[in-house]
Amino acid sequence: MAEKKKETNIPIYQKPWFTTAMPIIAFVFICVLFAILTQGRLFAGGNIKLLLSQSYMLLIASTGVFMVMSMGGLDFSQGSMLGVCSVVICFLSKYNIVLAVLGGVAAGGCIGFLNGWFNVKRKITSFIVTICMMYLFRGVVAYATTKSPVYGAADITKYNNIQFTLTYTVIILLVAFLIFQYTGLGSRLKAIGAGETAARYAGIRVDRTKILVYVAAGCITGLAAFINSVKVGSVTSTAGNQLETQIMIALVLGGMPVNGGAKVRFYNIILGVMTYKILTAGLVMLGISTQMQQLLLGIIFLVEVAIFSDRKTGMIVK
Amino acid sequence: MSEVLLHAEGIDKNFGITHAIDHITLDFYKGEIHALIGENGSGKSTFTSCLTGIYQKDSGTFTLNGRQINAHNQVDGNYQGVAIVVQELGTLSGLTVAENIFLGKEDEFTKHGVKNSRAMNAKAQELLNSYGFDYIKATDPIDKYNFEDRKLIEIVKATHFKPQVLVVDETTTALGEKGRKELFRVMHSIRDDGRCVIFISHDLEEVLEQADNISVLRDGELIDTVASKDVTADDLKKLMVGREMNGKYYRTDYGESVPDEVVLKGENLSVPGEFEGLNIELHKGEILGIGGLSECGMHEVGKALFGASFDRKGTVTLEDGTQINDITTAISHSIAYASKDRDNESLVLNDTIEDNICLPSLEDLKKNHILHAKDMRSFATKYAEQMSTKMEGVTQFVSALSGGNKQKVVLARWIGKDSDIVILDSPTRGIDVKVKADIYQMMDDMRRSGKSILMISEEIAELMGMADRILIMKDGRVNGEFRRNPDIKDTDLIARMV
Repeated sequence: MAEKKKETNIPIYQKPWFTTAMPIIAFVFICVLFAILTQGRLFAGGNIKLLLSQSYMLLIASTGVFMVMSMGGLDFSQGSMLGVCSVVICFLSKYNIVLAVLGGVAAGGCIGFLNGWFNVKRKITSFIVTICMMYLFRGVVAYATTKSPVYGAADITKYNNIQFTLTYTVIILLVAFLIFQYTGLGSRLKAIGAGETAARYAGIRVDRTKILVYVAAGCITGLAAFINSVKVGSVTSTAGNQLETQIMIALVLGGMPVNGGAKVRFYNIILGVMTYKILTAGLVMLGISTQMQQLLLGIIFLVEVAIFSDRKTGMIVK
Repeated sequence: MSEVLLHAEGIDKNFGITHAIDHITLDFYKGEIHALIGENGSGKSTFTSCLTGIYQKDSGTFTLNGRQINAHNQVDGNYQGVAIVVQELGTLSGLTVAENIFLGKEDEFTKHGVKNSRAMNAKAQELLNSYGFDYIKATDPIDKYNFEDRKLIEIVKATHFKPQVLVVDETTTALGEKGRKELFRVMHSIRDDGRCVIFISHDLEEVLEQADNISVLRDGELIDTVASKDVTADDLKKLMVGREMNGKYYRTDYGESVPDEVVLKGENLSVPGEFEGLNIELHKGEILGIGGLSECGMHEVGKALFGASFDRKGTVTLEDGTQINDITTAISHSIAYASKDRDNESLVLNDTIEDNICLPSLEDLKKNHILHAKDMRSFATKYAEQMSTKMEGVTQFVSALSGGNKQKVVLARWIGKDSDIVILDSPTRGIDVKVKADIYQMMDDMRRSGKSILMISEEIAELMGMADRILIMKDGRVNGEFRRNPDIKDTDLIARMV
């Protein structure tokens, strides 16, 4: 058989074992580095607790974006979406807390549907659509909070205890994991991310799945907004600002390929968010200014993407 | 024959996953017009583009007069002695005639950083006059001239510096009688001067008239080089379409009856720009072949029946009356489809063999609504091994497999799905003999077990060897039907295609 031998001079940083191991090594490295630099303060009991409590919102919101990115899309509207959902939740919390959560989920779902509809039916890349939505809904949040912040029910912050928030987060992640792994959804999303045409020819209802995933990502952000609301108790015009970039940096740090596809793993979410949070918390503790932090994170993000992007699939954002 | 002017050695070019030209080795002689012919996508233009610097070849060498040349762009190519008149409009609007002729060579008229336009215009006019095109003014904006005149200007542009090799890529279709005459005159003068013209054309009569030698390409491979005085247009057609008659691995049975039961029926099917008013019936246990030239619309027929065509009109109905309008419905009603475009449509290249095999069967693999990873693994392994796919394991990425093994993965997917109606478009395209034989055996087995196969193929021998019934398509319509019979001749089929 005349099989043609492919050139196998893949640079080390693109070998599968390396791309799998690297995020884990980076996580350990960052933990050790900041443990030394802060003389162990970073991992003192109180700080760990604080670190965790700051991670819930990002963990939940990342789960939705993780699914969007698995199928090769992007979602920049997360921050504004979180803002809108928080407004809805705070407003409704005065009547009933369950209603508030449902309202937040519905609001997120609606925005997600708009993302999906414009992406799929109007055939606009998700990058552009979600940036438009980011802008649009930031405007909505600003309008809703013009005169004063939207306050939640007086007792809404009673949910801000570790038992509730931790359980809440774990349940959401667990459900998302089970659906991703055990219903075939994961396989379908990865196939869409790796090759949309072939996925369609394999019988996957690509359009329907895409819209569904954008809606789901919106709903999940509604759930994340609840955590945000109970923590703050009110919404200002900047609620959720830059959440989208935080999510994206976190996922990439966790080893998620920017183009999605077959190499996506669910643990990318948890690993990434933890790495990101320890990194930022460490930088804060070292007394590094916010501006400098942003600069450093930008550089780290750029380097990660530059090294690990899978150029074989091309940088096609759907 | 006279001396070799240009020697091409192992020229190879890939566009992403498409192997456009496959290690072509070819000699061009001094004082000849050498035609390149082949169907669309056979690699003619890609080959000449690599020579003249429009594309960069992946590997191989061009040797001109004993010196290796490597053009990085067209102007670079000109300085190394090769030039091209391209298929499309090769002159730039908004510039004057003279500026177009000397595009990229302005330095020849530049002194101390200042361009001497007057000298350039004078030189251009002199050239135009020497070609007999004195009605064209060098200082005019090129937009003043019509398409044909612009092509003539392009000929001046490509030939005034006496290139050793001139490529004329499908230019004649754009030219009228007058333009053709001028073009042929220039071509002949180059030949008589002991240089060489590489002539690409779809018009076989014209090729036979003008060229000394003719090379035939098919699917990026060089099929044969013949002297034009030894061949007829029909011979060339056969070479272009391709036929391999050493088919000992085909079916050997004849005269077996096919049940009347119709399992899939397409009525009044049309896809704009592809085919029109097609009625087709696929019987149980039958291999129905569809043949024709690659642009005849037959490849779209497979897609239309699978529910994958955009903008399809007409109906596709199963035996039980179910209408097929989308892929998901088709698959869930036991229709399988293996595309000619294996790398884009049949397979998710950047995904594992396992995922590729399991994708259509995910719902079937669930136990109590739960999909287990180990079931996927064993399912994929079972069918990949049944097809004897050469792989490191099912977690290997499909992109790393050879063409034949990729096709095995596609077939493994549908055998795993146990589809009753199988649409195979060019099932053995780019596949070596051993795997071909396996695929034919598999098709025969499926037929015997009562499954129905629609085979769309550009290979005549394959159609005659495997099909119970053959439909020949031409220009989007069925142009002939043949029943399985050892006495059918390939020329009968070809006559219906061309």
